This record gives sequence, structure tokens and C-alpha cells, in this order.
Amino acid sequence: MKIIDIKKVEDCFDGSSVFSYWFDSQWTEAAIGGLSALGRLEYFADFPRPLFRLTTPEGLHVKGVKGEDNCRVIYPQSNRAEIRQAFERHFAARQQNKPGGDQKSATQK
Amino acid sequence: MSTSVDVITECRQRLAALLHAGDPTRIVLTTHATQSLNFAVLGLGLAAGDLVVTTVTEHNSVLRPLQHLADRVGIRIAYVPLDEEGALDQKVYQELLDDKPRLVAVNHASNVTGRVNPVAPLFDWAKQAGAITLLDASQSMGLIPVDVSELQADLVAITGHKGLHGPTGTGALFVAADVELEQVFVGGTGVRSDLVRHPADMPVRHEAGTYDMPAFAGLAAALRWVESREPEYCAREQELGRHLRAGLQALSGVTLFDAQADVERTAIASFRIGGWTVEEAGFALNASYGIDCRTGLHCAPLIHQAIGSAPDGTIRFSASGFNTADDIEQALAAVRHLAS
Repeated sequence: MKIIDIKKVEDCFDGSSVFSYWFDSQWTEAAIGGLSALGRLEYFADFPRPLFRLTTPEGLHVKGVKGEDNCRVIYPQSNRAEIRQAFERHFAARQQNKPGGDQKSATQK
Repeated sequence: MSTSVDVITECRQRLAALLHAGDPTRIVLTTHATQSLNFAVLGLGLAAGDLVVTTVTEHNSVLRPLQHLADRVGIRIAYVPLDEEGALDQKVYQELLDDKPRLVAVNHASNVTGRVNPVAPLFDWAKQAGAITLLDASQSMGLIPVDVSELQADLVAITGHKGLHGPTGTGALFVAADVELEQVFVGGTGVRSDLVRHPADMPVRHEAGTYDMPAFAGLAAALRWVESREPEYCAREQELGRHLRAGLQALSGVTLFDAQADVERTAIASFRIGGWTVEEAGFALNASYGIDCRTGLHCAPLIHQAIGSAPDGTIRFSASGFNTADDIEQALAAVRHLAS
């Protein structure tokens, strides 16, 4: 998956930094599973539209829906630049490792 | 075919009728309730040391203009807390009135809990203390009666896009006949162009610039709908709100805030789901279940300390008279699923 757009999300979720990331392809179970390299991944396969959420020890929160080409990312107040770089590097690395970058599939919670 | 003058006149007349305000020239048309509240708060000529009594249930559209005046001219602000039952603490309120506030600003209904404040007695006491009364009717107009005489409201801020079902970008401010606000927004009016200064007559006294005519045409249509809708509309909305709150309260793993059942409310419910942050739960409800809701502090930061939902706020569901009992059950099923 390649990041093609990043938009700041304006809302009333106070004190955080919320972004919408857009990709050149949809979230598959393999792509979702790849996020487990970054932190604790939960995948809710039984939801009407299967949902995933990722939480990292550094305080990064990511969530999205299988089949969509975007996800919501919330960065913590501290070390935001480093955490953002690490998150975006994840997708750059997957691009370089194609094919076979998505070795790990999402597993149901 | 209606002219622009017809549209503006119709909006004033219908709003005046809804408010039981009599004279339509006391209705100033604005772009939203926030602008109305700014005109009211900034136009009263409050000075250093003047006391304003308001409540912890207010929206930032009241809190921030007041804080702006506190910072700029040194007014004093006192916030009425909630009592143990979740209502405005009337004992504290009455004690604050002893200090002769210039202004008392209260919202008709909380945008977080839906609880309707007992405005008529609060404003009666405020008037006896010599205060000007400002009602934020953003959450009530079109849903529960707003009678300026009955409530003893000198100033009423209204938004067009909530209970009136009009377009965004429309609002109004009622100004009682014996209240004169200073002008805080002046410019072109399309009338009395020969004058160097902005006209002083109501309502153009507070209106400058070109009206958003498509929006006000929409508001006029919405006001016609409010007048002609089936009488059961509001009762149905209230019933759906009770259905929603009772259902949420019964769910394991769900915390309903300000859960008291036997109080007057709009059809709003604020809650949290165990195991989910409010933001994540809102995302899941929207993205996975197709249920629109709002999360966070809802621009009303003070109430969350009082109801126990600070610092992250709540998930907020709002029922409409256009919803059905089946819609409510679907929403409850989604929350039950997330909580399981």
C-alpha cells in the first residue's frame, strides 16, 4: 500500500492530532495483519464491516475498515514527529518488499 | 415569487411568532447562534468588575465570549455547578444573585446530556436581582416551547440548523424591547446609505453585509415546516430519546451519563462503552455500523467534570422525530455488540 494523501481531521476530539491517511489500494486482511509489526493489533471480523485498531506503546492509535482505502491515525502529543516517521516508513518498507510484503494476516479478536 | 425582502421578513415574522415575541423587528438575523451570543455578550457594555453568572452546562459559544471579556475588560464570571441530582445547584445560584450580576446566561438544554434547565424560575429570580437574562436556545428551539415572556428572557440566541431543521449558516437573536445592545458589527446595510454611521434602528442595527439568501430561504421553508408538521413529531422524538436512554442504561459495559430518568430532556444520550475510547467507539459505530454519532467534549468542556466524563468526554447519540423505534434498536444492538 502506498500513501497517496494525508488530511488533518478537524473535530472536537480535543488535545489530539488526528489525521486521515489515504492509500492507493484497499485494506486487505494481509495489509491489516502487517500492522501487527508496529504494536497491538485487534481485528473485529464479526463487525458488519470488519474493523481493525492498532495501539502502539508510544501512544499511536490507528483504526480502519477492511475494504476501505483509508484509515484514521491519532498521534500522541509527545514524540509526534518520530512516531509519524515510523508509521509512514512502515508503508514505504512494504512498497519496497513487494511482492510478499504482507506475510502476516489479520487474525480475529 | 418571493423577493429577498420577503424571505427576510418571513424569517423574522415566523421566528417572532415561535418565540411569542410580538414585534418581528426585535429579531436580528445572524449566521449562527455563536454570532448571536457574541452580539449579546459583547453588546451589553459590560465593564471591569461586572459579574456575569452562567453555568457549567454552557457551550463554548457562551463560555468563550465571556472569557474574552474577562481577559479584555476584567468582568467577573461565576459558574453555577450541578447538585447531587445533576441539576443546576439553585442554592449556589441564588447566593450568586445576591452579588447583583449584570447578566445571567443559561442554556435551555444541555447539548451533552439533553437535560432541560428550569429557565423560568432561574430567570425570574435573575430579573428580581436586576440582571439581564440571556437564553441559549440552540438545543431547544423547534423542539420544546421557547416563550420569551413565560421564560422572562431578555435575549435569546437561536440556530437554524438544529431543532428547526433549517440550513447551517442561519441563526437569530431576539432582543427584548427594553434592552439596547451596543453595535459590535457594522457596515453595509442596503438601507440609509447616506449615513456615515450604521443605522441605529432595529433590527438592521445589528445586521451588516449581504444576507445568505439561499440559506435564509431554507430557514423560511424550515419554519413553515415547523408550523405545519404533525403535532406528534416532538412527542415521538421525546419517546425515541427515552427509548434510547433506557436501552443504553440497561446494557452491560455501557455507562450512561446523567442517567436520571425522571427529568425533562431533549432526545440526547451521552455514554461510554467499556474497552473503547470514545473516539474509537465513535469511529466503529460510524465506519462499521453506519451509525452517525459525535464523540469528545462537544464544545462544552465544563460539564464533563460535573458528570464524570472528563477528560475524554462522551459518545453522543441524538434521536430525531424522523427516526423510528427500529433505528433505535439497531443503534442499541451495535452498542451491545461493541460492549460484548
